[in-house]
Amino acid sequence: MQQHFGRNISEMGPIVAFLDEAVRDLPLDSKAAFVLHMVVEELYTNMVKYNGEGADDILIGVALENDSLVIELVDFDSKPFDYSQREEVDVTASLHERKPGGLGIHLVKRFMDEVNYQYKDRKTHIKLVKNLKTNA
Amino acid sequence: MLEIVRDQPNSLRLKGRLDAVASEMAFTEFDLLEGECTVHFDELDYISSAGLSVLLHTQQRLSASGGFIRLSGLNPNVKQVFEYAGFDGIFEMI
Repeated sequence: MQQHFGRNISEMGPIVAFLDEAVRDLPLDSKAAFVLHMVVEELYTNMVKYNGEGADDILIGVALENDSLVIELVDFDSKPFDYSQREEVDVTASLHERKPGGLGIHLVKRFMDEVNYQYKDRKTHIKLVKNLKTNA
Repeated sequence: MLEIVRDQPNSLRLKGRLDAVASEMAFTEFDLLEGECTVHFDELDYISSAGLSVLLHTQQRLSASGGFIRLSGLNPNVKQVFEYAGFDGIFEMI
């Protein structure tokens, strides 16, 4: 299932409702549901934060393919921003060395088995895969 | 939706979702904490990096004057977020 959403943090309410519906329909257990909510929030809020002036809506899709949870986000009017190439966060840094930025993408990479990024003609397409059987 | 209950001056109880939408309201409440504090996560279902930022900011602020927040009652999903973020090294979890 998939749905278009506007480019504003106020869309998080409708996005949460859409994801809750996906969790019921697929269906997903509580761990997979948690991961779904988290990775979509992290990537959607990044798209809004770093590309707030984009003209079109953002498409969010959720599906089960074989034993894998497949999540897609498509920004149709965006600048290039390759999530997979971002600098790693140092999660061993001390309290005082810590900075809040970058944790969201780090968490997405940790929770998902695959993060595929494609950019062409202003379109950003992110496809995330989590194998639910091996991560049960 | 996030609900925050201040049951004592240095104790907060969180209920619901600590996400990007709730983090601004959470900052306001967490900024009132002083000294040695406990944040109860028993009824917190969900946290994202926006929520982690609230906790990190508060821990850094309190630490400057010898204080801290400890966290209690994290569910397994929330706890895994803390572990993946390396926050288990900078917060006491009970």
